[in-house]
Amino acid sequence: MVIDTRTCIGCGDCVVACKNENKVPVGLNRDWVVEATRGEYPNLETEFRSERCNHCSHATCVTSCPTGASHHWKDSNIVLVAAEKCTGCKACIAACPYDARLIMHPDGYVDKCTFCHHRVDQGLDPACVSSCPTHCMHFGNLDDRDSVVSRLLRERRHKVLMPETGNQPHVYYLT
Amino acid sequence: MTAAPAPRPTLVRFVFSSVGHLFRGPPLYWLWVLLLLALIALGGWHYWLQLRDGLVVTNMTNQVSWGFYIANFTFLVGVAAAAVMLVVPAYIFHRRDIKDVVLMGDTMAIAAVTMAILFVVVDLGRPDRFWHLIPGIGRFNFPESMLAWDVIVLNGYLLLNLGISFYIVYHHYRGEDPKASRYFPWVLLAIFWAISIHTVTAFLYAANSGRPYWHNALLAPRFIASAFASGPAMMALGLQIIRAISDYPIRQSVINHLALVATIALQVTLFFLLAELFTEFYNEGEHAASARYLFLGLDGHSGLTPWIWTAVVLLSIAVVILMIHPLRHNPLTMNIAFVLIIVGVWIEKGMGLIVPAFVPTPIGEIYEYTPSLTEIMVSVGIWAIGLLLFTLLAKAALPVQCEFLRRQRASEQQSWDGVERRHNAA
Repeated sequence: MVIDTRTCIGCGDCVVACKNENKVPVGLNRDWVVEATRGEYPNLETEFRSERCNHCSHATCVTSCPTGASHHWKDSNIVLVAAEKCTGCKACIAACPYDARLIMHPDGYVDKCTFCHHRVDQGLDPACVSSCPTHCMHFGNLDDRDSVVSRLLRERRHKVLMPETGNQPHVYYLT
Repeated sequence: MTAAPAPRPTLVRFVFSSVGHLFRGPPLYWLWVLLLLALIALGGWHYWLQLRDGLVVTNMTNQVSWGFYIANFTFLVGVAAAAVMLVVPAYIFHRRDIKDVVLMGDTMAIAAVTMAILFVVVDLGRPDRFWHLIPGIGRFNFPESMLAWDVIVLNGYLLLNLGISFYIVYHHYRGEDPKASRYFPWVLLAIFWAISIHTVTAFLYAANSGRPYWHNALLAPRFIASAFASGPAMMALGLQIIRAISDYPIRQSVINHLALVATIALQVTLFFLLAELFTEFYNEGEHAASARYLFLGLDGHSGLTPWIWTAVVLLSIAVVILMIHPLRHNPLTMNIAFVLIIVGVWIEKGMGLIVPAFVPTPIGEIYEYTPSLTEIMVSVGIWAIGLLLFTLLAKAALPVQCEFLRRQRASEQQSWDGVERRHNAA
């Protein structure tokens, strides 16, 4: 997933779309918008970032899970939780450098962003990407050199969050 | 203990006579057992509420997802590991005085590791899915997951200690010397295993690269050092209580040995703490935010600051007491120091270690945490289970041990005198 922080206006539509699409319980969110302000008045700079699970290829939540409930979906980098295997030990929450996991799901498992893999399976974009009014979010296959996301990462300056943890995250922010 | 001719010692008789000992005791014993049972019932009730309503009755949140339970767990794994401080001198250096009481160290390890396992179980949001963690039935994420390692090492340690203790007590019951060739390899394994339980527990935290407060190489050494301070302190207190209420011969040299171990371990613990503080604060970066929250408060949030400074002060007083020889040999001041160590390490390695790693969260939010009534009551219940287990195991094993030692002394009176002189001189 590639998100353009230069065109994001911080409207929060992605958050609402996710809650609708995934029936996320009241009080919980699988994604959120961070408004980061840098500098001192009057030289201020604001960056909006729509954040969620980074679907890391070296996902510390997957390695720390004692039962294998956290897993990569079909050889992709999409990290999912098999609810029926989750013991609620919370090792993955401690392991996640992005605070992307929620224990408080009423059905008793650790919940998180799924990259809407049920939509991806049908060739659709995740709900947050589809709902973005400024088209600042893009979803695609980075192994495919001709995909929009590959082209954006080739052409634009970008960053990932907390690369120093070694998690190899896959949500990229264009800056 | 009975005057009648001893019946042929079989396994069944051993079990019956051990269980029999549990039902004979002075009123104080019964009062103590009933008190513990009442506390267990109270904890059980609160755990039932937690099972019914879910972890939402705790004060743990999405942000601070490990709290009071895991804090107690960490402390108790250390106590369990510290049994080696009796096992090594008893079996490797053949200290006779310590060999007499080493079984009590194993008993404490059994109680502590049982409590540790229970603290993990109550921390699970869905304990009904625990079977996924049982190798064979469930699919266990081994060797990747540190928690899977922890399940193996903790249960293995419990089995090792149960096995060794049972083997030795049973042979003592039969009036035989246990065969060293049969139990010594297991004792050696248990020594390494003891270090491993605490190392694996430290790695469980240190593995989380997103939590800078935990993600450092000093965590495991710090764990071991503080465990070797708090464990011997607890054992020394327990042994003195046993000595006061039974005729089990526990020499002062054993208590002095434990006091010395606790002193050195506490010095190392405080040195490690200093090294940690220096690294965090000399050139304070973003990674020091958790340490700042813990020791100084962050953005007006300082819930844990009074706690950690209490721990630092208690441990500092304890180390001063123990480093002054007359004070370390005075029973009153020595025992005060032991209590200070236990409370200090319990804070430093419990709430002081677990909670700050979650504050601030990786995305910079601050959510403070204090345990809920449920968490405190369930924890009290688990501590009561541990104390009851220790009491019952000791109650069952002590008469056998006393009898064995009495017989052994009678047969080795001459050589024994020499040993006694040597150790009393220490």
